[in-house]
Amino acid sequence: MNLTSKQMSKKITDEYMDDAFHAHEKGKLIGYSTAISPVELFVAHDIIPIYPENHAVANLTAKKGAELCSVVESMGYTNHLCAYARSDLAYRKTGITVTKGIPEPDLFLACNAQCFTLTKWFQVLARKGNLPVFVFDTPEHVMDSNTRKEIVKYCVLQLKELISFLEEVTKRKFDYDRLKEVMKYSAESSILYKKFLDMAQYKPSPISIFDALIGMAIAVYRRGTQECVDYYQTLCDEIQAKVDQGIGVLPKEKEKYRLYWENLPVWFKFSDHAKLLGSYGGVILTSLYVHAWSFEFDLDKDPLVTLAENYVSRFSNSTIEDRADMATELFKKYSMNGMIMFMNRSCKAVSFAVPTLKEILTKRTGIPALVFESDMGDQRFYSETQIRTRIEAYFETLDRLQP
Amino acid sequence: MWDNLTINEVVEYAKDPYPSIRKWIKDKGKKVVGSTFADVPEEVIHAFGFLPVTIMGTNKPLKKAPSHLPDNACSLARSNLELVLSYEGDLFDGFVLPQVCDTTQHLSDIWRINFPDKYVESYLAPRQADRPSARYWVKEEIERIISSLSGWSGKKIVEEDLWEAIKIHNENKTLLKEIYEIKKKNPAALTNKELFALMKLSQQVDKAELNQSLKKIKNSLQSGKNNGYTDVILVGITCDPPEIYDLFDEVRLNIVGDTLLVGTRYIQGIVPTNGNPIDALTERHFRRGFFSPIHDNVYKNFEEVKALYKETQARAVIYVHIEFCESQEYDLPDLKRMIKNEGILMHTLDTEYQTLSLSHVRTRLQAFFESLKGGSL
Ligand code: SF4
Ligand code: SF4
Repeated sequence: MNLTSKQMSKKITDEYMDDAFHAHEKGKLIGYSTAISPVELFVAHDIIPIYPENHAVANLTAKKGAELCSVVESMGYTNHLCAYARSDLAYRKTGITVTKGIPEPDLFLACNAQCFTLTKWFQVLARKGNLPVFVFDTPEHVMDSNTRKEIVKYCVLQLKELISFLEEVTKRKFDYDRLKEVMKYSAESSILYKKFLDMAQYKPSPISIFDALIGMAIAVYRRGTQECVDYYQTLCDEIQAKVDQGIGVLPKEKEKYRLYWENLPVWFKFSDHAKLLGSYGGVILTSLYVHAWSFEFDLDKDPLVTLAENYVSRFSNSTIEDRADMATELFKKYSMNGMIMFMNRSCKAVSFAVPTLKEILTKRTGIPALVFESDMGDQRFYSETQIRTRIEAYFETLDRLQP
Repeated sequence: MWDNLTINEVVEYAKDPYPSIRKWIKDKGKKVVGSTFADVPEEVIHAFGFLPVTIMGTNKPLKKAPSHLPDNACSLARSNLELVLSYEGDLFDGFVLPQVCDTTQHLSDIWRINFPDKYVESYLAPRQADRPSARYWVKEEIERIISSLSGWSGKKIVEEDLWEAIKIHNENKTLLKEIYEIKKKNPAALTNKELFALMKLSQQVDKAELNQSLKKIKNSLQSGKNNGYTDVILVGITCDPPEIYDLFDEVRLNIVGDTLLVGTRYIQGIVPTNGNPIDALTERHFRRGFFSPIHDNVYKNFEEVKALYKETQARAVIYVHIEFCESQEYDLPDLKRMIKNEGILMHTLDTEYQTLSLSHVRTRLQAFFESLKGGSL
């Protein structure tokens, strides 16, 4: 019997974690990685990638944030650092987790296309075990095309250094043919993943960002594998079936507001937010965040070049103007008519762009924005009534604008 | 204008150098290119005939920056943005802005968007420094900045222009080093505030002129009564507001070593003078000391602090933390532990640009100082 995407996701995740927990018995190493990083090199070299961010998300979604984050303050860390990092450092100290936890690392790969914070966080972890860290430094993808070429060259040089680093740590030769194969899977699954996200353009939309976030996990931790491709194929088929039957997150006549979301979710509130917005006829369709994994690998190029080009140009490493262009595209493509801009205390890497991005987007689209401040994982910075009131007021404004 | 200053005048100018810069550029008809911390090769800007000015915040009230940056942005970033948006923006013809951390990356975007009519270039120094690619990249970046400045100004520079700039900058650093040496042994010769004002102003005004003042000041330094001082070293990125130095001076702490960008890390920027100038400027990047946002290993910081402590035989380490600087905050707990394990006394000062009241800093510093004199903590 064919499995549903949900069943597949569970199976893939269980097997992956099982493999990870028994890595050493199988002669494999565990490499901690940032969610946006050229993990294809790990996969090709048989290193199991583990993402402390994913584990943090599980704990934060289960409302463990405040508890974990208070622990970390007693360890001398300040309360405005990234809640993923804070909850992870606290997990290391207390063992508190809603999952089985994650295996201990053997090495680290920190790619700063996502943020520089992760580098600092991984360095803290690495110091504890005196373990090797490789920093894949991706200069901001500035707008000048000549500079971009130079940046890609620098990144390719570093990927070669990364390969030597992996060879040295594992005492095994790197297999470029295997990398090509991994790239093929990554390229295929990225196309399917993007197709899945883009189904939000249908009216009514068959998916909300909530589905996108759940559907994102496999792209983050299993890209570069056949099973990842199979998963997204199944997922796309399922959503397509919904589209064919006209099934939306909200029924067609109820879907009034097609919303853009900026930043990461407020993990411990996200389903509440979806319900609350839904009661007003609002559905959040997308965000740049979920699109961060829709890579466009060019298999005709040297794998290191296409890896470098893709990883350096993620939204998180792009200029604010480029981010605005990417978001504007999404507004057009998905016919969105509202935007919620979340200023996330935890994530400076994304949030510092928010005020400027909001200005540009409202100017370009003529759509007013709701801006609210909170924290993605630490409930102590969340004010229930204030945010509720703001959301209500925002819909009233949109209602007045609606013809 | 800056070639015949007394030490008191240096302190005054360092507090607010902008009126003098305004007057100077009017007289000289030169362009001003601003940068923020750290590692933008000032020599290159100078070689084009522009005045390189390092922007180091303002004490004036925040008006515009808060609407561009959230309140947990580091106060240095907010203060720098405020300075250009509300107060001195018109003074600058252009900017070369380095990206060292998540904050500065966004800051340069915001800056560029707010100054569409000015020249704004990013300096993308590597945020890893241990592998050959880092060296390759620094050189590329220096060459790129040269060609970018050239495209903007329509000027070309030759090797001699760079060597000339390097000479002036090296002389500035050498003089500061010599003055620092005098101060270490003769704490009464000049106050902490005066020493750091010299190092700050050096990064903001024309060095060819200021070097003249530095020479005179150096020659005029006399040792007074040197007893009653306690030697300490200062660790961090910057130390602001400058009134903090007054507190050190009050309790007679003598700073005999530091790792600040407005201190020793600047002086460490002396460029080797052989080979070709771009290679020499590249080489300099790797000779400088630890800087938490761009170097990848807190052990380096620790080893540096330990070595400095031993070499200077200081009594304690004072660490200056800038509120909301993430780079520092990830390093600090481990650094503290390592320093403590070494048996070294360490005091952390939490600072914020725009701070007017230093009473809490004073109280904590005094308590620390008392315990230092008592010999235990
Ligand atoms: S939430 Fe932001 S700061 Fe934290 S790891 Fe992700 S990108 Fe970095
Ligand atoms: S390194 Fe720290 S102080 Fe400097 S800009 Fe970044 S956050 Fe601010």
